[in-house]
Amino acid sequence: MRVLLVEDEVRLADNLATALRDGPGFAVDWAEDGLAGDDFARTPCYDLIVLDLMLPKLDGLSLLKRLRDRRDATPVLILTAKDGAASIIELLNAGADDYLAKPFDLGELLARAKALIRRGKGAAHPTFTVLGLTVNTLEQSVQRNGVFIDLSPTEYRILEYLVHRPRVIVSKRELLEHLYDYNWEHHSNVIEVHVSNLRKKLDATQPEADPLIETMRGRGYRLAPVPPPEAESSQTHKSTPEPGL
Amino acid sequence: MKHSLQPRSIAFRLIVAVLAVELLSAVLVVALSFGFERHIHFRAFDVMLHGRADSILGAVQDADDPGDNVMLDQADLHIPPEDIYEVWDAGGHLLGRSSNLKDAANWQGAGPGAPTHPFGDIAKPTINGRHYRVLRIQGTRTVDPGEKGGGKPRQVTIVYGSPTYHVWRAIRGAVEFYAAGSIVLLLVSGPLIAWLLHRGLLPLRQLAALAAQVSVDSWQFSPPASAHTTPELAPLTLALESVLQRLERSFLQQRAFVSDAAHELKTAVAVLKSSLQLLSMKPRSAKEYQAGLERCLADSQRLEALVADMLALARAESSTSASEPPPAANLVECIHQTVTRLETFATLRNVQVIVPLPDSSPKVLFERTLADASALKGHGFGRAGNHPDEDTALAAEGMQAGEDALPSGLKPNATSSASGGGAEAVPFQNRDSLRLENLHIPLVPEDCALLLSNLLLNALQHSPPASTVEINLKKDSQAAVLVIRDQGDGIPAEALPHVFDRFYRGDPSRTRNTGGTGLGLAIAQAIAQKAGGSISIDSQPDPALPNQGTIVTVRLPIAE
Repeated sequence: MRVLLVEDEVRLADNLATALRDGPGFAVDWAEDGLAGDDFARTPCYDLIVLDLMLPKLDGLSLLKRLRDRRDATPVLILTAKDGAASIIELLNAGADDYLAKPFDLGELLARAKALIRRGKGAAHPTFTVLGLTVNTLEQSVQRNGVFIDLSPTEYRILEYLVHRPRVIVSKRELLEHLYDYNWEHHSNVIEVHVSNLRKKLDATQPEADPLIETMRGRGYRLAPVPPPEAESSQTHKSTPEPGL
Repeated sequence: MKHSLQPRSIAFRLIVAVLAVELLSAVLVVALSFGFERHIHFRAFDVMLHGRADSILGAVQDADDPGDNVMLDQADLHIPPEDIYEVWDAGGHLLGRSSNLKDAANWQGAGPGAPTHPFGDIAKPTINGRHYRVLRIQGTRTVDPGEKGGGKPRQVTIVYGSPTYHVWRAIRGAVEFYAAGSIVLLLVSGPLIAWLLHRGLLPLRQLAALAAQVSVDSWQFSPPASAHTTPELAPLTLALESVLQRLERSFLQQRAFVSDAAHELKTAVAVLKSSLQLLSMKPRSAKEYQAGLERCLADSQRLEALVADMLALARAESSTSASEPPPAANLVECIHQTVTRLETFATLRNVQVIVPLPDSSPKVLFERTLADASALKGHGFGRAGNHPDEDTALAAEGMQAGEDALPSGLKPNATSSASGGGAEAVPFQNRDSLRLENLHIPLVPEDCALLLSNLLLNALQHSPPASTVEINLKKDSQAAVLVIRDQGDGIPAEALPHVFDRFYRGDPSRTRNTGGTGLGLAIAQAIAQKAGGSISIDSQPDPALPNQGTIVTVRLPIAE
């Protein structure tokens, strides 16, 4: 997942970026003013935009309006130091999805960021279950039929992205765009290596089953190929009612 | 007693004033009418007396005796019974008198010897307790007009009087009529004026009602057009409008400041809080903790600086109480202290600070010569051409002084680089009284130091490495003029009007990096204004000519 952070306060941006990278393992791009943020946001790579309201050059609300005028549906989390219901109502009506008042709790920010990304992709629960594969995005743990699978951070991030978009062909380019920030050298073969490793680890537990990740040559990857009609556990996006979560 | 202390309403006072004027005029009218009526009535009375006296004269007849005497025939006289009369002949014999005079012992009847008047002679005796008006006329009766020679004329004196009480009654009646009329007018006009005033003051009340609707949430004050055109209301309306406008502006400014301050504080707290929470997100090594703690410390120092600046601003903006003795700070001392304090920072940024000022030991000032020399140069460059005559006149003196009075410690480049701003900003007046080391400004030394360090810090922060910042101090007739000039990139024209705004940052990324709170210049301005002075910033950034820099000119009044 890739997050655009628009915040002019360097130290705060630094902390937020570190938290977003270290915690949920998102790729983070940082824009320090409204215009730069607007430029960044024009690339369709972001799964979430964290937007400060008081920004130099272009304020957060204007940026948000520009975004929504372009029919950009990227979830937006507003950071505001302003109090008062009026400004919050204005923000939400302008197309913001959520807001946090400064000074906020970092844990709350991360939880809201994850919830917004989830919601933005049509999922309600942080745990995904596809064809016996369970991905818990809170613990960042992966099980297949009850067996925990140990993944590298990049492998996990690829799987997390795919699990948010089951049965959709995800191109290598899309994976690159959503998993790496601007500072990363884009090499599509990096993705190939990681996907290959990921597939090996996932299928190691059940070698006889169909591969979970299908490679569509020249087009990309697809998690959970279209199941045979009798397979009843193939409902995509079915969230498991885990009482502990 | 309390009631009497309260000021009466204007309407009440107006009504009282009008009624008092009315009362006064009523009294005047009564007095005048009294005089007029008396004059008229007595004139008519006198005519009547004359007529009656003439009728008495008619009753004087030839006596049927040989001595050609005259007699008064009272049988045919028809006069009011109250009237009195006496008729005397020339010889002083009483020919006759009215019956009611016979027993009047006090009647000093006018004898025949009394002086006469063409119309008659008037006396005002009191007879039998009554006031009379008495007329005396001389008449001539001709005895035997049928004889030859036209008969014999006989002089008679007739004294005729009539009581005056009914005249007075008529006068009193007339005066009473006027008085009663005036009282009725007074009684009617009082309420009428009150009602008219009430109606007339209606626009004022409407204006007050409109003004009362103004609140901090709605500054809308739209007086009716008549309020602007009514001469009495126009000044009030204009004053109200301008006061409200100023109030609204300062209120909005204040609100913006509070909002900005809250934003800055919340952001600073958010930074600190996020730093701490980031540190506690997962177990870390001792080294990581230490680095994190250092970051947190830096964050809290920024918060501290912000709070300190806000407090300094609040203190600078609060007015000093009048009871304190007027403060005085030695400006030169302050400059030296500030430069010394910021020396490390300047060295760190590789910026040279040039202060062509005298040391603490009193000696002949070179500042003046520097200024003059720079004026020369400025003139030469065509930049300080405001007073060409003066400059030329100063040329010889300045040249001479510049040669022999430049201090040894002064760097040569200071002279050349001081040419632009310093010479432009300071007119060369009152040059004989330049003793800067005793220059005191009405500020406490702490404020003076804060003012100078904020300005110098600002200049240092915007200076590129290996450049210079110059501080020049001059004195004109009333004020100390401090000029700080850096060689930075200058301030863009669109940012220039906002540099004194609170929390304004010309270039956010750069200022954030240097750790400014955005309050430094606002504090400096507040302090300068507190002292009764001013700060102006001049900058003309030109991409073709970099390092033109910014010129900050501070004018401070000189303390007594």
